[in-house]
Amino acid sequence: MKIAVNGVEQVVEFEPDTPLLWVIRDELKLKGTKFGCGKGLCGACTVHLNGHAIRSCITPVSAVENQNITTIEGLGSDDTPHPLQASWVEFNVPQCGYCQSGQLMSASALLAQNANPTDADIDSAMSGNACRCGTYPRIKAAIHHTADNLKNS
Amino acid sequence: MNHQSTDINVSRRQFLKVSVTATGSFSLASFLPGCATFGGKALSEGGDWAANAWLEITSESNIIFTLDRVEMGQGTTTGLTTLLAEELGVEPETVTVIYAPVANDYRNPEYGLQMTGGSNSLSTSWGQIRLAGATAREMLVAAAAEVYEVPVEQCQANDGYVALADHSKKLSYGELAVLAASQSVPSNPRLKPAAEFRFIGKQNKRLDIAGKVNGRTVYGIDTDVEGMVYAVISRSPVIGGKVKQFDASKALASKGIVAVFEVYNGIAVLAEQYWQARKAQQTLEIEWDEGPLAELSSDDMFQSFKQAALADQGKIVRDEGDFDDAVEGAARVFEAEYHTPFLAHATLEPMNCVVEVRDNHAQVWAPTQAPDLARIAVARVTDLSPSDVDVTVTAIGGGFGRRLTQDFIEEAAAVATQAKRPVKLMWSREEDTQHDWYRPATYHKLKATFNDTGGVTGWDHQIVAPNLLDWYIRDAAPAQYPWAPKFMYGMLGSIGLAMQGVAVPKDETAIEGAVSVPYDIANLQVRHTHADIGVPVSFWRSVGHSQNAFYVESFIDELAHETMTDPFLFRQSLLQNQPRQRRVLELAAEQSGWSKSLPKGRFRGISVHKSFKSYAAQVVELSVDNGEINMHRVVCAIDCGIVVNPDIVKAQMESGIIFALTAALYGEISLKNGRVEQSNFDDYKLLRMNETPEIDVYIVDSNESPTGVGEPGVPPLAPAVANAIFAATGKRLRSLPLRLT
Repeated sequence: MKIAVNGVEQVVEFEPDTPLLWVIRDELKLKGTKFGCGKGLCGACTVHLNGHAIRSCITPVSAVENQNITTIEGLGSDDTPHPLQASWVEFNVPQCGYCQSGQLMSASALLAQNANPTDADIDSAMSGNACRCGTYPRIKAAIHHTADNLKNS
Repeated sequence: MNHQSTDINVSRRQFLKVSVTATGSFSLASFLPGCATFGGKALSEGGDWAANAWLEITSESNIIFTLDRVEMGQGTTTGLTTLLAEELGVEPETVTVIYAPVANDYRNPEYGLQMTGGSNSLSTSWGQIRLAGATAREMLVAAAAEVYEVPVEQCQANDGYVALADHSKKLSYGELAVLAASQSVPSNPRLKPAAEFRFIGKQNKRLDIAGKVNGRTVYGIDTDVEGMVYAVISRSPVIGGKVKQFDASKALASKGIVAVFEVYNGIAVLAEQYWQARKAQQTLEIEWDEGPLAELSSDDMFQSFKQAALADQGKIVRDEGDFDDAVEGAARVFEAEYHTPFLAHATLEPMNCVVEVRDNHAQVWAPTQAPDLARIAVARVTDLSPSDVDVTVTAIGGGFGRRLTQDFIEEAAAVATQAKRPVKLMWSREEDTQHDWYRPATYHKLKATFNDTGGVTGWDHQIVAPNLLDWYIRDAAPAQYPWAPKFMYGMLGSIGLAMQGVAVPKDETAIEGAVSVPYDIANLQVRHTHADIGVPVSFWRSVGHSQNAFYVESFIDELAHETMTDPFLFRQSLLQNQPRQRRVLELAAEQSGWSKSLPKGRFRGISVHKSFKSYAAQVVELSVDNGEINMHRVVCAIDCGIVVNPDIVKAQMESGIIFALTAALYGEISLKNGRVEQSNFDDYKLLRMNETPEIDVYIVDSNESPTGVGEPGVPPLAPAVANAIFAATGKRLRSLPLRLT
């Protein structure tokens, strides 16, 4: 079966019910997408499906055949990080860092759809992403900061 | 190989060692005597020695720092690197950090174990690592002075160069490395005074962020090795149960299955792909011998704790004045019972480990807080001795004490040995929740006496709780004595240590934070009744403080209300001899506007607690709507001595508060029929962004030595919330989690 990940078409051999997460991590070796709960409850596995944030741990690989997946590795590059990644650095957001790929994928999907989110918009988009280190205040500040920068640029 | 080396005793407690490596690098190591392995042998094996050094300066001027603590997000990488960089006069960002392998030299001096926990990385490294940096700096300067043929006073080390005072000449640290190594080691290197600090107290950037925003940081779960298969284990649903018999025929017929076999605590399923292992696992038919805990429930457990409290008055761990006299002379006696449940750690990265056993050697890749204990765990279930086991510590997706226990590594080693190929063992979230080593459930009785003017004359606190070291010493004791033959591990874990004349460490995990109640009360006793129900327990962020602050700070609040005194003023009046507690209490009260009125429907609660040598006070502001608790704001004041990285201190307070709020509002692991009732984040909830209050952190300016920040933000939170709920509703909640409905 074929899937396009970060713009590259990939042919993968997996049983159709295998969650996309394990195909990304163990076959394509893109380890930035994390396993946290296996039930779509924590958001560590968040990736984009055609630009929308989805939980890859509960998405069968067969459901995304011939579609476009973006992972944290495809969000930005070293030379041109996504503006949110730059804000994450500026606000010292990560602690252990394990959830942050998922946080960034949810936040980037939010900004793509809503360039000027309110606190309530951010809460609504981000409350599916758990952070055990408690980086929520910095995530929220970094999203606002990014939106403000994009507005002014 | 070393061309050259020098040992010198630079002070009673510190040894430094310097050498030049084969590539012309200048290495310097600082060791604690008694732990160190250096000497003729270590020096003759030059390559090994250089790898053990804390600091290496290569001929290309790369500064390489071997960090002997693990990074779990608490900021140790940044904090300790900043200390070294400060003394070397280089930007912390220019230092390359590598994580230490297992070696006695890297033991945490407070524990005699290579362990990261107890919020003491900065406090134990504050002198040691600055000294290592200062020594290297002075030797670089001496080398430059020799080249320039001037007194050392005319040379300055800064930003990777030693320059003449008039800037007419400069040489890089790399160019000076070989010559620096031949200088005599200064016996009393000058540590920079605070007025000269460029980075300490000013550095606000973290050094470990880049890989955490682009997905490249490699955690344990990201480790892949050639020929590896995926393993999962079905463990007894009843805590402590064993396999009686099992049928794996369906599992063995599943696609991709490599093997199914029994290990010491369950049935392992190995497959080419993780999902194949999980699917096959569901088809296993296992009959369990459920063992002695098969009937256990949380209600029964708390009943048994109550009985234990009556049957055993407990060991008196603090005794001032005479509490019985206070009761006799009291105008009034007030008492209350409290309890708190088991808690899981719920690190976001579930337990996992990769092990390869080959040719009488095991290589372990694991997110562990205690790599030397990991070696013991591996040795126990293999034919290997600890010295045959290498442990590579990966990045860690949350620790909080969970990874001080090495059970997941022991399992992986057992599976890899039997599989005869490399194995990645992974736990599901459900397994992680149901097979944790939990924060203990405890039961407490508190009693106070008042005189006829309302003054508090007596305090009696009875703690009913297990000792964590009873569980921990199984791995910890052999790790301290790795030469001990394996048949002695069991003995070392209990009476063996005492029989050998080795002092068993004092276990304060049940009483810490209660035994140190800071209030000025004339007749004060604290008692510990030991009660262990047989459920594995371990260290959970802030350990005993995490519960004991709830008991002490809730009960003192009760006493304030009993005497109709403002809870802040009441505490303040009883802290006249505790200036640092009083200072943070006053700062939190002031910054929260404690004396000012709140909008209608908003209420405040306050608490103060010392843990890990730091002092924290918090004021919580909340509202209660139809029994629902809504958090609005937490003001936190922290005194952790000299601050190295102010933003990390702030981040750790935010982190501790949010972690503690999860526990205060939701955290409960309950037992029924010996089984943990919770399984995933739907029934073991974590606080979310939309529930997170505004958090304001105020740091006390201090000249005291640095103390902990990873844990001290946790303990004051739960009682501050409970006290605010009382203010809002008049209901005193005496158990966690805090529930009004």
